[in-house]
Amino acid sequence: MGAFDIVKSNYIKELLAKGVREDGRKTFGFRSIKITPGAIPHAEGSAMVDLGGTRVLVGAKVQVEEPMPDTPKQGNLMVSAELLPLAHAEFESGPPSPESIELSRVVDRGIRAANCIDLESLFIEEGKVWAVFIDIYVLNYDGNLFDAATIAAMAALMNAKMPVYKGEDKADYEKRESPLKLKSAVVSTTFAKIENSILLDPNIHEENAADARVTIVTDGKSVRAMQKGLGGSFSTSEIESLVDVSLEKYNEVKSVLESSMK
Amino acid sequence: MARQIVIPGDLVAEQALKIEHSYIDNGKTYAKVLGLLDTEKGTIVPLEGIWSPRIGDTVVGIVTGMRSTVYEVDLDFFGRSILIGSKYDRHTYKIGEVIEAEVKDVEDRKTIILTRPQSLFGGTILSVKPTKIPRVIGKANTMVQQIAAMTKSNIIVGNNGLVWMKGGDIGLATAAIRKIESEAHTQGLTEQIKMMLEKGTTNA
Amino acid sequence: MASKADKPELIIGNKRLDGRGFNDLRPLKVEASVLKNADGSAYVEWGNNKILAAVFGPKEAMPKHVQDPVKAIIKCKYSMAPFSSMGEHGRSGPNRRAIEISKVTREAFENVVMLNDYPGSEIDIFIEVLQSDGGTRAAGITAAAVALASAGIHMKDLIYAVSVGKIGEELVIDMNMIEDNYSDSDMPMAISPRNGDVLLLQMDGIMSKSEVKKGMAMVLEAGKAISKIQKDALNKVYSRGENGNGV
Repeated sequence: MGAFDIVKSNYIKELLAKGVREDGRKTFGFRSIKITPGAIPHAEGSAMVDLGGTRVLVGAKVQVEEPMPDTPKQGNLMVSAELLPLAHAEFESGPPSPESIELSRVVDRGIRAANCIDLESLFIEEGKVWAVFIDIYVLNYDGNLFDAATIAAMAALMNAKMPVYKGEDKADYEKRESPLKLKSAVVSTTFAKIENSILLDPNIHEENAADARVTIVTDGKSVRAMQKGLGGSFSTSEIESLVDVSLEKYNEVKSVLESSMK
Repeated sequence: MARQIVIPGDLVAEQALKIEHSYIDNGKTYAKVLGLLDTEKGTIVPLEGIWSPRIGDTVVGIVTGMRSTVYEVDLDFFGRSILIGSKYDRHTYKIGEVIEAEVKDVEDRKTIILTRPQSLFGGTILSVKPTKIPRVIGKANTMVQQIAAMTKSNIIVGNNGLVWMKGGDIGLATAAIRKIESEAHTQGLTEQIKMMLEKGTTNA
Repeated sequence: MASKADKPELIIGNKRLDGRGFNDLRPLKVEASVLKNADGSAYVEWGNNKILAAVFGPKEAMPKHVQDPVKAIIKCKYSMAPFSSMGEHGRSGPNRRAIEISKVTREAFENVVMLNDYPGSEIDIFIEVLQSDGGTRAAGITAAAVALASAGIHMKDLIYAVSVGKIGEELVIDMNMIEDNYSDSDMPMAISPRNGDVLLLQMDGIMSKSEVKKGMAMVLEAGKAISKIQKDALNKVYSRGENGNGV
């Protein structure tokens, strides 16, 4: 963090002490969510998501692979994330950073835990299954990559069309008709704790000022994944009430997802 | 003696007290280091950990850099140590030279300003846990003087954990210091060390 | 949470496969100051987990550009030995899981280590999983806390970690590998026992709101026993005095 960020963080804290967020949002309000499904027609599924100033592109590719040894009747799922150097001055190229690995693993965990993808429907024949690769490309970083990436990944999956199996490990990518079978949808909610305030969907300045962060992923009924981050802490009662908020927020985001598919 | 081991987070007092190696949270005092709490004196003595530099400490270090008359000295400490020489000094220090000096000031917990330097020519350096240095020195220097006298070694003990030794039976002096380091708690340690030195063997 | 197809019965008549009740921890053994070179160290056997933690520092942060002039930085590396698990030879080198665990572990300790006491310095934490049987990140944190204390590093608290899981409709503390593989949820947590603050929280699977609440309460309850074993380990070393002027 440079000198500018420190001044900005102090300003954020000053405002929060008066109960005000920098951009005037409610404590548990999301920034505007804009979903552009099918942004990359070459990919089987894709979506660009703008969560306020954060822009994430997710491409989902599907290809024929061997199943994992412990799940011979199920398709494979791989999630990766790239914090592209063009997304922020402090992002550097090179091997995956702990931040990008954490991002991909938290998105993966939510989707996998909630069985969003019907992995059994991806079985082709003995020793052959469809593998789904979800690649998260962060194009502009303005805070809260977890929620933006989860929305984008869900949108890409909802929009994905399966290729046809040609035999001999080959897929016919020209024929993509039937949708990828999904069983549920997850919504991620990320909270930042800044001194005594807790807010939803932190922007970059709020993230810089944050002492602790927690992401709660739900399927609307149950919690499916959680991840606490940063050096600060939460009390168990804070976690309990944030689980409530997260469950309440589910329908709001889900309906944005659904309406974007029309 | 009412001494007990405290562990980070242990409650030391129900009220807010200013005790070194403790911290105050919500009006109560907690230990922040593994140490010995003396409930009568109200002190915590760390059992482990790095040297916390104080003004007046004697240190042993190695000159590692110089820019005009400002020398960088390695004290085996995470911070920076500098010795500001005077242009009237007759002696200039060379890189790699071992010196003894006194801590003149400590800035921001990490920059140590040294004064009263003295070159230590030849000899060797032993690294000792800084928390055990007070025992190596002994009450009014008795322990280190006893070792020096009986081994005929020149010994300079730095509070930073570095001990310089030259001449005499360095092997025996080293063994004595190592014994103090590992048995610093033992009653009658001074006697034991004396016996060890009298026998002149390293495995007393 | 692997293949459910050949899922064994993990709970039979209120008992788990290894005979434990739902709130029972596996046998936990902690030993402090086990390595000579490290500034602090600890060895933990927790069930069949065997974990070594070592701490170096505070020392000058390197390379220089990573130094923070007002506080210490913590570097943390969790890794699993290639021979640590039953079954196939593990790949050496840090995988994505290990990198993530290293990160959340570092963040948990950033909360309790008094970083401002060591400006410009670096504290290294190494967690080596020599044998794994589920719950290694929790065991690693529990070991590293003792290693940090035995290095004499200033901390607000001696933290611990343990995981709570869900098997069918039951919440169980401290799952072993087979339970972990077939469980419906896993929620590892690290806690500062002094005030109950949550320093690490991860979860995947499925848990209702009330299960999250109950699970967290189980972690806090189990912590009493874990904390005591950690403290006993330090007390043992320093009261017999091999490392210090004991009592």
